[in-house]
Amino acid sequence: MSRLLRTSELHKRPVVTMGGEDVAQIKDVVFAAGGGAVGGFTLAGRGLFSGPSDRGLLWGAVAALGSDAVMIDDESVLGSSESVLDASAGSRGSGGDVMGSQALTDSGVDLGKVVDVIIEVQGPRGSPCDVIGYEIEASEALGTKGTRVLIPLPDTLAASGDHLMLPAAAKDFVSQDLAGFGAAVEAFREHLSQGR
Amino acid sequence: MRFSEATGRKLVSTTSAETIGKIDGFVVDPQRSAVVAIECKKTDSGDILLWSDIVGFGADAVTVKDAGAITEAPSGIDALLGKDHHLLGKRILSSTGDELGKVDDVEFDPESGVVKALNFAEGQIAGARLIGVGSYAVVVTPG
Repeated sequence: MSRLLRTSELHKRPVVTMGGEDVAQIKDVVFAAGGGAVGGFTLAGRGLFSGPSDRGLLWGAVAALGSDAVMIDDESVLGSSESVLDASAGSRGSGGDVMGSQALTDSGVDLGKVVDVIIEVQGPRGSPCDVIGYEIEASEALGTKGTRVLIPLPDTLAASGDHLMLPAAAKDFVSQDLAGFGAAVEAFREHLSQGR
Repeated sequence: MRFSEATGRKLVSTTSAETIGKIDGFVVDPQRSAVVAIECKKTDSGDILLWSDIVGFGADAVTVKDAGAITEAPSGIDALLGKDHHLLGKRILSSTGDELGKVDDVEFDPESGVVKALNFAEGQIAGARLIGVGSYAVVVTPG
């Protein structure tokens, strides 16, 4: 079973142990593998007695990422936020900086500005959490200027602080909502692999 | 039997025939999916009645041998005490991180103390699915 979600939804989602304690909440999503996967999370405390605030959670220690909580076995799997950021830097930096950058096709067309990151969570536990697309505020090139659309990513991509480079075909696989987006991503990747 | 109907039931000593307290709450061990003790008002000897010290869990009263059955919480039980570990009214999370609802009531076997089911708005969750009970949520295995 897999599900798609926007990383912006994860902000403040509680981190809950299997013992039913909410030990932290998500502050930021940290990307790994050049922005292609979720590496982990930096955490914030919850409530008044929130405990140490500079903690982090590596993706490998997540038991499940659900629609209401991030489940972990127990509090001992939490590390420092630095350890999560370091692990991410070790795999070619944080892709979190794509927010606000311009999505350009390799033919030089501006598709719009990146406003959210779409990830895919799939079982079983320990499987990577891939970044499969971005939500962008569409430019004129897409014919729906100003609306938010979902655009699929290839398996690997190039991103600088300013630009995100996409194959020109990406604009033919745009979705309006998450429901049909999984199929669009698959179709897009299929299309790319045939083109090679 | 349900927690809601059993709460408030009097505790009677079979030795002296006196009422020695009443049920205030239930102590559940999620690992065993069972009620392991009863919380009652503090007496001279303590505020915990271990399930193994119950003589009979009847429709009108719970009988114990004598007032000495109410004790201080032994280690192992003490970690399960308090509001953080109560089930009623708490949100139910599956171990996949999805909220299922809130615990309306708990069905248990008055003989063994085994939790048979958690009742919530959409139905029942088998007691055997219990994984943990904490201050934030009751965690259960996915259905």
